[in-house]
Amino acid sequence: MQPCSREMQAMNSLQDLQINVHTPHADFLEQMLSTTSFPASSSSSSWSDLNPQDNNAAAAAGFHHHEILASNLRQQQQINGGHDSNPFQAMKMMMQQQQQQQQMMVAGFGRATVAATAAAGVGTHQGGGEGSMQALFNSLGYGSLHQPQASFGSDSTPEVNHSQVPTAAAATPGKPKQKVRARRGQATDPHSIAERLRRVRIAERMKSLQELVPNANKTDKASMLDEIIDYVKFLQLQVKVLSMSRLGGAAAVAPLVTDMPFEGGGDCFQTSGNGGSLPRNSNGNRTPSDNESLTVSEHQVAKLMEEDMGSAMQYLQGKGLCLMPISLATAISTATCHSRNPMVSNVNTNSTGVNVSHLLLQSSGGDGSSSPSLSALTVQSATMGNGGVDGAASVSKPLD
Amino acid sequence: MDSQLLNPTSLKSRFTARFLRALTKINAPNPISSSSPTPREIFQRYRRIKVAADKSMAYSVRSRTTWSRATLSRLRTRSRHRRLASFGPRSSVTTAAVLKKTSSHGKENEGGLGVQAGELRELVPGGEAMDLCNLLDETAHYIKCLTTQVQVMKTIANLYSLE
Repeated sequence: MQPCSREMQAMNSLQDLQINVHTPHADFLEQMLSTTSFPASSSSSSWSDLNPQDNNAAAAAGFHHHEILASNLRQQQQINGGHDSNPFQAMKMMMQQQQQQQQMMVAGFGRATVAATAAAGVGTHQGGGEGSMQALFNSLGYGSLHQPQASFGSDSTPEVNHSQVPTAAAATPGKPKQKVRARRGQATDPHSIAERLRRVRIAERMKSLQELVPNANKTDKASMLDEIIDYVKFLQLQVKVLSMSRLGGAAAVAPLVTDMPFEGGGDCFQTSGNGGSLPRNSNGNRTPSDNESLTVSEHQVAKLMEEDMGSAMQYLQGKGLCLMPISLATAISTATCHSRNPMVSNVNTNSTGVNVSHLLLQSSGGDGSSSPSLSALTVQSATMGNGGVDGAASVSKPLD
Repeated sequence: MDSQLLNPTSLKSRFTARFLRALTKINAPNPISSSSPTPREIFQRYRRIKVAADKSMAYSVRSRTTWSRATLSRLRTRSRHRRLASFGPRSSVTTAAVLKKTSSHGKENEGGLGVQAGELRELVPGGEAMDLCNLLDETAHYIKCLTTQVQVMKTIANLYSLE
């Protein structure tokens, strides 16, 4: 039977299916279900050697193929009229039909069994191709199904006749290129098979990504991808910010944008290396944990702001503070409030045309490993001497 | 607090070792002054640290993933650009051309996810020339490495601040 298998391999209809044969073993079961490469896969092992035990795992899945095989065999019978046809030709047409038909007629295992035995019975009827048919069945690992063959022998013929009638209309002489509608969600040609495999792999990877990304309860792929994109952006931003914060000692980016907020209108977010700077500023009376000192520094800042924004900025930077709009500050404080104890105090000070209201936030890290105290100083000046800076606010927080 | 020892061969420990070494190299020449240095210096320092972080992460991964290779090549060409400014545009053009050639294949079957896939390709280094399947793989590994990086840098920042 080896030449038979070689011949089958040479068939162009099987060329593409061959590719599926060599995919890794894990996909084996899936292949069984989705491709019709059974005869091709059997070519890798000798025809008669394939034991039912080997295919036990796939036996259940193989029932589908059994069904198809059975129906194809029936059609084959129908087409050839039972005469002694070239077994290769028979195989070839069967393979073609298999490709196009897939698993549309899977009804149940019971029927599959009967159909299989019917096919087996049919196979025995066929003259020249009998040996090859038997070999085919053996190799497909359905040897166990040969047992009931004898008992179901009488049932086989009505089954065959019954199924021959509907297929008669479909079967056309010559080389039938049957346009059988595939099962929903499955296609029949190798390209769509490969496509389906791709889709499955992509779905697997999306699932593993879902575990990595927090807040991943989205169901459809597009929103899941959006979440992934946002998370990657967030992580990259965190790395940037962290590399800024480790500058140790000096306020990091604040001097870069000193001029910006006081021109535009106070929409600036500046962070400073508070983590490094605070302990280095060993001016005892200025420790942020002291409530009083903060008020003092607030006044200081307000005074400085009257003269020159730049110097106020510098002063804040020295303490590891920065300026940001109040709206942003409130947003941040509400967002990062989980393990901290925020202390909020509101003081309104009116001094020489500068309306200062500030929001003081002080919180300490929850556990030892989290960042040290977060102190925020917010100053809002409605009117400034040098004109029109609204919404300028200063907040400082150590970077997390 | 941290009672368990780091697995010496894990990604985290490899990255930490490299990064700390780079950090000491950066900190050594210029002593930290409490007065604010010029913006230029600050920016340079930030840049160096970020590059050190990315480079040490990419080295820790070796060349197992496409994104690490792309990051390393990107860093190398960038440093080369800094030194030989005249050669800069040429090499970047050639690499872009090469990428364009390879990027057309394998991107046909994305379903309806073309927009997001393009965005992801921009984010993940070296993602331009990959089909969606591999891109998702790379993204998973990239996310894992980024989280490690962030964790380690956070810890180091805390240590700095507690001194």
